[in-house]
Amino acid sequence: MNNLTGERLFGFRHAFDDPVTVALSLAIVAVLLLAPVVILAVTRAAKLSAERTKELWDRYRSWIWLAMSILLPILAGAFWTILAVAVLSFLCYREYARITGLFRERTISAMVVIGILLTTFSVLDNWYRFFLALFPLTVGLIASGGLIADQPKGYIQRVGLGVFGYALFGCALGHLGYIANDWNYRPILLLMIWAVELNDIFAYVCGHLFGRRKFVPSTSPNKTIGGALGALVLTTPLVAWVAHFIWAGTALDSAIRLIGLGIIISVVGQFGDLMLSSIKRDLGLKDTAKVIPGHGGLLDRFDSLILVAPAVFHYVGYFVGFAAGQEQRIFSGP
Amino acid sequence: MEPWHLQPAHDTGLSPAERLRSVRRESGLLESLTHHFCFSLLRIYFAIAHRLTIMGRENLPAHGPFVLAANHCSHLDALALGAALTPRHRERAFPIAAGDVFFQSNVTSTFSAIMLNALPMWRKNCGSHALADLRQKLREEKSIFIIFPEGGRSRDGSMKPFKHGLGMLVAQTNVPVVPCGLTGVFEALPPDRNLPRPVAIKLVIGDALEFASTANDRTGWSQIAASVESSVRTLVAQSGTA
Repeated sequence: MNNLTGERLFGFRHAFDDPVTVALSLAIVAVLLLAPVVILAVTRAAKLSAERTKELWDRYRSWIWLAMSILLPILAGAFWTILAVAVLSFLCYREYARITGLFRERTISAMVVIGILLTTFSVLDNWYRFFLALFPLTVGLIASGGLIADQPKGYIQRVGLGVFGYALFGCALGHLGYIANDWNYRPILLLMIWAVELNDIFAYVCGHLFGRRKFVPSTSPNKTIGGALGALVLTTPLVAWVAHFIWAGTALDSAIRLIGLGIIISVVGQFGDLMLSSIKRDLGLKDTAKVIPGHGGLLDRFDSLILVAPAVFHYVGYFVGFAAGQEQRIFSGP
Repeated sequence: MEPWHLQPAHDTGLSPAERLRSVRRESGLLESLTHHFCFSLLRIYFAIAHRLTIMGRENLPAHGPFVLAANHCSHLDALALGAALTPRHRERAFPIAAGDVFFQSNVTSTFSAIMLNALPMWRKNCGSHALADLRQKLREEKSIFIIFPEGGRSRDGSMKPFKHGLGMLVAQTNVPVVPCGLTGVFEALPPDRNLPRPVAIKLVIGDALEFASTANDRTGWSQIAASVESSVRTLVAQSGTA
């Protein structure tokens, strides 16, 4: 491991090297400090019921924990970021396996877990070819593991669920971790998380203000076309503006390309949200779990990010690339 | 074999603390590995410290659902019965433990649920619904219950009469009840001691009993309790003399 890699993985002294990181981190702290004032004002003015008020405070308290567990690993270093993404992958897969019943298929579940572990290793190792190879290899592992039970009835469903689980939580979320192989990963990840959360909020607010026509009423009855378009119109320029500072002077730094990035985050983020709604509706559930008070499950919170991660990774990768000048195959290399 | 159903875990929607105390709890991959690991360690412990001998292992059905019913003298009993099961059985084996002892705080609940895969039975105000839930779990999930129908540990080593809760679980079903007799456990860990003594423990497993034609009412439950109790008494006497 060379010096540069050590600094990237563990160099918390570089946490605030990029001004965009400082701005986005301060914005998180500011929102968390201002939120109690807003909640107090709203509950007083709108005379909310005790139950609604408690739910708002529950949500707020959960957000403090969530924000800290997102912000601190990102600031601390790439190693901690990749570790945090791996933990997120496992917890999301666990929720998914429990709501679909796939957890009862021990062999298939074990293969998905092995796939997520190997993906985390390939990310930490900055071994892109292995990272790419792992998708087909894990599919093979799951399809072979599914044979052990010698139970052809339902084989397609069980293996299909396993592959879908690995695709979403191992492969797609793994891209979020892979971004940390870039020297300047901090502002990129913070921008993605900020954009996806704001996109959700914009869709909610615009939906209330202008939403008349339902979007996909059978999947998610509260989503409206007004809300979806409102989120697109508000998120896109915001992303383009912040991204301009992150990728200043690179091939991505043109108005059209930056706007393209904004559109991708907004549209794909909303599809991720709808995807989870569809999964839940198929199973007849409201929430995926009851682990975060006021939110439901981790999947309910991170659904939008799952599809955004690979989309942003490959869009940015196409123009600029990731991990330029970084050591490859840190641990496995010759 | 069974077809595939998209069926969420029965404990979906419970908070982590509620889930540990719920009889609807289903273990995941990691929890399942933890039970296996703990029971493997216990197996080694019983072999070395208590020279555990098991007679009549061939009487255990090949797979669940079934109920192991034994006499109860010490906290070692459930562990000894768990250690006697094969790894294939352990996946679905649930010791039924006193809620007021093993599931009072979050720490003890975590230990009982994660390490031992225990399910709580609340002795004071357990309604019939708690037993109905267990009865359903037994058949739906092909579970194996480890039960002590005396309803508590014996204070002097002699067996107390069996309660009829056992009957409520199995009356009018094909679920076999396997009577077990344990000896040496009272000497190894009497209620007034905290740490076990290295005394030899013997476990005799008897022929499985079925109660498909016994009525699912108060008389039927009492009949079942009496029938299992007499089998267990015979086994205890047998293992004491063997």
